[in-house]
Amino acid sequence: MFISRTMTVKVIIIHPDADIFEAKEKMDTYHIRHLPVIGDNNILVGIVTDRDIRSALPSSLVKHFNERQERGSLSEYKVKDVMTRNPITISPNQTIQDALLLLQRNSIGALPVVDESGMLKGIISVRDVLRAFINVMGIAEPGIMLCIVMDQKAGQIKKIVDVITEENIRLGSILVAKYWEKDKRAVFPYLLTQNVSVVKSKLKSRGFTLLDPMKWYIDQLPQYE
Amino acid sequence: MRKTGFLYDERYLLHRTGVNHVEIPERLEAIYKGIKDAGLLPMLTVIPASRADRKWVEAVHDKALIDRLDTACCSGYEIFESDDNQMCGETFEIALLAVGGVIDASRMVMEGKLDNVFCAVRPPGHHAERNSAMGFCYFNNVAIAARYLQIEWHIKNISIVDFDVHHGNGTQHIFENDPTVFYYSIHEHPSFAYPGTGREFEQGKNKGFGFTKNSPVLPGQGDAEYTRLVKRDLFPSFEQFKPEVILVSSGFDAHIDDKLADMCVSTEWFSWMMDNIVRMADLYAKGKLISVLEGGYSLERLPELAANHVKCLLGI
Repeated sequence: MFISRTMTVKVIIIHPDADIFEAKEKMDTYHIRHLPVIGDNNILVGIVTDRDIRSALPSSLVKHFNERQERGSLSEYKVKDVMTRNPITISPNQTIQDALLLLQRNSIGALPVVDESGMLKGIISVRDVLRAFINVMGIAEPGIMLCIVMDQKAGQIKKIVDVITEENIRLGSILVAKYWEKDKRAVFPYLLTQNVSVVKSKLKSRGFTLLDPMKWYIDQLPQYE
Repeated sequence: MRKTGFLYDERYLLHRTGVNHVEIPERLEAIYKGIKDAGLLPMLTVIPASRADRKWVEAVHDKALIDRLDTACCSGYEIFESDDNQMCGETFEIALLAVGGVIDASRMVMEGKLDNVFCAVRPPGHHAERNSAMGFCYFNNVAIAARYLQIEWHIKNISIVDFDVHHGNGTQHIFENDPTVFYYSIHEHPSFAYPGTGREFEQGKNKGFGFTKNSPVLPGQGDAEYTRLVKRDLFPSFEQFKPEVILVSSGFDAHIDDKLADMCVSTEWFSWMMDNIVRMADLYAKGKLISVLEGGYSLERLPELAANHVKCLLGI
């Protein structure tokens, strides 16, 4: 739930006076796209991204320029010249939902995690959030996902779980999501089994509609602004 | 001692929320008893409620919402639009009495007849949005009072402080774009509590950006964290914004003995908070402060909490 548990603690950082090639090398070496920029006194002063570096470098399509010459003059450009100052940050005791909303609303890929004095404690990126959800949903384990449409009323999930329990199947996770029809929900139990045919037929016989997961269209859901 | 008003009307008890609900008439009876037993009634100017002119409700809410509530009450519905909003045939009238009472109280403060006032009203208001009722709330009493102050008294800087344990989504959204109303709320973190809004990054929109501040608090926290956040987030805003009037959404459900939420705030903290808000009112608003009841559901604790609240207003 919490940023402090989900974030990457060993953050690769860079100094504002480093040149842009150094930034690029760090990103390539560590396969990352965001480098928090830490100035004197260990305070976060900015963030530089893979996109900032690429915008600063000449096109990779242009092969004719004299690489050594161009690199020479380009390395006058420092991280502080291309970084975003005062980046959007999050504090360690906020939650994953806070991070999700911030990332989505600001169209960014990562949030430096800073404490109240402005010191960097970690970084949380879209990748970290995805990893957290993959863990939560248990989908890295082998299993099968069902898609059930149910009425939005009390007691329905119990009926679904009862069927799963009767067949002695382990439940990896269960996700309940909005459906495009009002008063209905889509339920996605992730079952840790190879064989779901009996579960499926029992669910159908108890009145549940099973959907082909390929036909569950995210883009038909009520829009979140 | 200050000239403190106390808005209370027995008709507020007539809004019935049915069996097993928590927002019950007994809350108000407990509050009244607490204030009376502490010997405070003779020191207060008791104000009865009057029915609000619909125009004030329309200053904040869509006519459609008002009409829907009116119709639902006349038709004998017991639930209005959200499962939490249980009501009876009198609810529409009583909601208008709550609004009207808060407006009367505000007028008396502005006219100088009172320094400050505590409005013990039902139903509460801070969850009510422009076009929807929710979270036990129907009309947003505090938001309407703020609009009344803006329209009738041309007040340019109003501060709303909301220490109910639930984020006042209605109040925040109503003034989200308004830089003349500073909305501050301290509440249980939205990832864990109703209504799921009030995140730290919600700071207002467009011209109103910077005039909303939220202090979400993780479950299980108490006085130390509440005090730290209020000192960090609220007091500096008063200094910068310099409100001419302060409205307070006073909810007592952050108390450790209140079962509706997961916070561990003590009785003493509420007095600390109110003393500080009164001090800010003296510093910036010539003492003008209008406190309006929101939540608070522990019948055992409400009497003392209410008496202490009023003592802070009186300055005794």
